[in-house]
Amino acid sequence: MIFSDFGMDTASLAGALEVKLAAVRRAGFAQVMIAASDVVGHPSGVDAGVRAVRESGLRVTGLEMLRDFEGLDGRLHAYKVDVAKSMLEVCGRLGGRRLLVEASTSTHAEADANAIARDLRMLAILAIPLGIRIAYKGMSWSRTAKDFSAAGEIVFRANCPNLGLAIDAFDVLASGVALDDLDAIDPEQIFLVQLSDYMWQDVRSTEEQTATATHFRVFPGEGAHSDGLADFITKLDAIGYCGDYSFDVYNDDYLQMPPETVAARAQRAAEWLGETVLRRALPIPNMERLRPAAPG
Amino acid sequence: MTNALDREAVPDPHNPLGFDGIEYIEFATSKPQALGGVLERMGFRPIARHRSREVELYRQGAMNIIVNAQAADVPRTVQPTERPVISAFAVRVRDADAAFRRARELGAWEIPVRARAMELNIPAIHGVGESLIYFVDRYDEFSIYDVDFLAIPTVDQHPPALGGLHFFGIVQYVGADRTADWVAFYSQIFGFAPLPDSVRFGILPRGLLLQSPCRSFYLQLIEPDEVARYAPAEEHLQRIGLGTPDVLATVAILQKRGIEFLVSEKVHASERGALTTASLGSVMFELVHDEPVPAAAPR
Repeated sequence: MIFSDFGMDTASLAGALEVKLAAVRRAGFAQVMIAASDVVGHPSGVDAGVRAVRESGLRVTGLEMLRDFEGLDGRLHAYKVDVAKSMLEVCGRLGGRRLLVEASTSTHAEADANAIARDLRMLAILAIPLGIRIAYKGMSWSRTAKDFSAAGEIVFRANCPNLGLAIDAFDVLASGVALDDLDAIDPEQIFLVQLSDYMWQDVRSTEEQTATATHFRVFPGEGAHSDGLADFITKLDAIGYCGDYSFDVYNDDYLQMPPETVAARAQRAAEWLGETVLRRALPIPNMERLRPAAPG
Repeated sequence: MTNALDREAVPDPHNPLGFDGIEYIEFATSKPQALGGVLERMGFRPIARHRSREVELYRQGAMNIIVNAQAADVPRTVQPTERPVISAFAVRVRDADAAFRRARELGAWEIPVRARAMELNIPAIHGVGESLIYFVDRYDEFSIYDVDFLAIPTVDQHPPALGGLHFFGIVQYVGADRTADWVAFYSQIFGFAPLPDSVRFGILPRGLLLQSPCRSFYLQLIEPDEVARYAPAEEHLQRIGLGTPDVLATVAILQKRGIEFLVSEKVHASERGALTTASLGSVMFELVHDEPVPAAAPR
């Protein structure tokens, strides 16, 4: 794990796309996750948005976020396929190699595992000619995959090489998914890991979880679960994950702060991870103060 | 509702489309006469011209090659340039429309209908890079060329094949670690099956071979070698493989016609196969030892 494995997310920052990209770059990051709305909502048009990303010098971690795709029928399914194709095309134009897909929260989605797997396989096949991988992310308030274990079962069933998992640390911290569940996941199937923390100790209800996930996240090292995050990353390292980490920090306060200030916080988070978790993941003597608690 | 034209479903689970070989392979180039010269030296003859587009049909034996010089009117397709590129191939299937609809449902990208009045609409999906894959089901009683093409007068419409040449396969260059993705694509949509590494054809041992469900056509997927791994490279259809029962005899025939073959320490003509040098900067053919395909069984 090195600094270039960490990236920011344009959804964490306020301002014009160019300003966001410059702030990310100035904070020392080499990659950035692109929220589709930042590109297609560019005031000078999509072409200008694509150009801004390509000229930023930043590697595109991926494009987000395709929502409520799987488990739909008939006209709804056809509509969502069109949405997916449009996002894949934008992702391809950005030079992105990953599309992030959140497990469906739609009440219209059926929960039949075969139907969900079939839809995700179709999405993955659509992505193949464009060289894009589909990173499917379970969410506790989803109807189709409530966590990475459930998402992993669907990915296994769909069985397409460019379909894998996005795992969100928030899943582990807020929903209390056991870290040992990661043992059942093939690290090659993990296409992306997202990192964030939040301020409160507990989130009690699903409503509170949803609100926290979408409005009150903070960067790693800023929240109440630094130890839990460290354990999570150490565990991923132990099972052999060596891909990218993206800070999926969605916070209404950060959207009222200058992007440079927020990017500086992200930089501190990356440094914190590098200096604590990263070193702990290596067998360096006298660096044992953050050793994870024995699993149990 | 039943339709008199509905055909009975064929029960072969390994060949869901009724895949029956390749109808044609298409090149795009802005210099169609230059490519035509290369094709003629390879034994192809120009036999027909498209009614409304700058498109020519070359043929030898059972092989059809389309040379397309028409500016592309669909996004993500080949814009003809001086360097010819393989821009499409057309697969023969039992029911083109059914195959096309099934492919769409499985995740293929369709291209918009382009046929003009009185022209055939040949359904197509996007393949690797900017290439297309067409579905053709009219190749028995009358052919797609009868509608869209005008025969060149006095030219033999069925020139014989030199040395028993027939379509054997296409070599596709893929990105690093992309073989598995393309295996999934071709097996899901067409029913291609990967062959074990012990099965090899020709003289170039690299890459993974996919066999068509009718077992007469192969795709060879080749990833960049170690040095080229980190250089950005476009994925594309790189060359056509031609089968012939006697490689060395066919090489001799083609050499007399002005085709040059690669001679290097690693690659040279043998009973197993041979590789032509590149013409016009990009056009290569690979000869592979293979008996001619038996005539299609009556359907």
